[in-house]
Amino acid sequence: MSEFQLEIVTPTKLLDIGSINYVRCPGLDGSFGVLANHQAAIIALGIGEIKIAQNKKFHYFATSGGFIEITEEKVQLLVETVERAEDIDMNRAEEALKRSKQRGKEKDASLDEARRDISVTKALNRLRVSKR
Amino acid sequence: MANLKDIRNRIKSVKNIQKVTKAMKMVAAAKMRRAEERMEEARPYAQRLQSVISHLLPDVERELLNLLHVRPVSRTAYVVVTSDRGFAGSFNSNVLKKAQSEIDEIGKNHVDIFCIGKKARDHFKRRDYTIIESHTEFWSELSFGDAIQIGKGIIGHFTDERVDEIHVVYNEFINVATQYAESEKLLPLEFSDEDYSHPERLYEPDKNQLVQSLIPRHLNIQIWKYLLESYASEQAARMVAMENATENAEEMIKDLTMQFNKARQAAITKEILEIVGGAEALKQT
Repeated sequence: MSEFQLEIVTPTKLLDIGSINYVRCPGLDGSFGVLANHQAAIIALGIGEIKIAQNKKFHYFATSGGFIEITEEKVQLLVETVERAEDIDMNRAEEALKRSKQRGKEKDASLDEARRDISVTKALNRLRVSKR
Repeated sequence: MANLKDIRNRIKSVKNIQKVTKAMKMVAAAKMRRAEERMEEARPYAQRLQSVISHLLPDVERELLNLLHVRPVSRTAYVVVTSDRGFAGSFNSNVLKKAQSEIDEIGKNHVDIFCIGKKARDHFKRRDYTIIESHTEFWSELSFGDAIQIGKGIIGHFTDERVDEIHVVYNEFINVATQYAESEKLLPLEFSDEDYSHPERLYEPDKNQLVQSLIPRHLNIQIWKYLLESYASEQAARMVAMENATENAEEMIKDLTMQFNKARQAAITKEILEIVGGAEALKQT
């Protein structure tokens, strides 16, 4: 299976993943996969899971959104946060979920509904990915 | 001439001060190194994002997104980035001076201020400027989340059309010895209108929506950059200031030791003279 280069870039780190066979990203309307020799593209990403196939092994990451830039030379994921599934602290994620749900119950006028939903989705996503 | 004990006490206290300044210098140096690394880490993301946005913008209707609106300016906002603590040479005063002179040029009744760091807040509060928000005491645990927090208020202020232009005044980190108080326009966004069209490229969702989701991210990273630059500058300025203080203390210790030795020598000479004089007097009788 042909390979291509993948980099994950965030504001606080740069992960050079190296040669991979396949990456699946959370697009805004559903996941999509990228294989080698994909057409050049820029696609926005939402909150979700990134799956990477490298040397017949799968790696999973949780992300809170960004975009993917596909060029002839390489593929770059520019995302605001990224966490390896095995690095996610489940207890912390669980707590974050509780906290954001709690906030959802209190009728706090300063927090708009959209933001509460986002933090719940983010927490759920991290939990889901950490169970991989 | 001061007596021996006084001089000895002064030497002791100067030595203590020197110990403190030396320690502060070392701490600042370590923090600065970390801050520099973080600046390096943030750069690739910021650059890619910027280039993608500038590729997209020529094809986007500015009217669609209120963050891109260019309105006639009737009210301006300034974001002033300073530190929480002093002991950093002219770090804070440079920024405050620059910010204040620019604000006064517009007229302080037409300007809203966002204060980052205690020094800016105290400065503008004392002088009765319009402060919208101040963010303090986050520097020691600076994270990207802080940038998003701070950005939200600033961007909201613009999208609610309470101000028509936003400027940022901060210390740009050039190198350890040089930091420069810089003023930049944050909003409305300006990108060069060069044509970078990539006809072969696929965009999803369409360009307008893409830009809409990218621009807030771009602003977040811009604010993150300002914070990092300022933090690195603060530490560098403190490092240099403390280095100078340590040197000055060294100089003082040298002077005082010289004085101390002179005083001691004078006392000894005086004693010998007295003894010799006494012996002389005895001989003569």
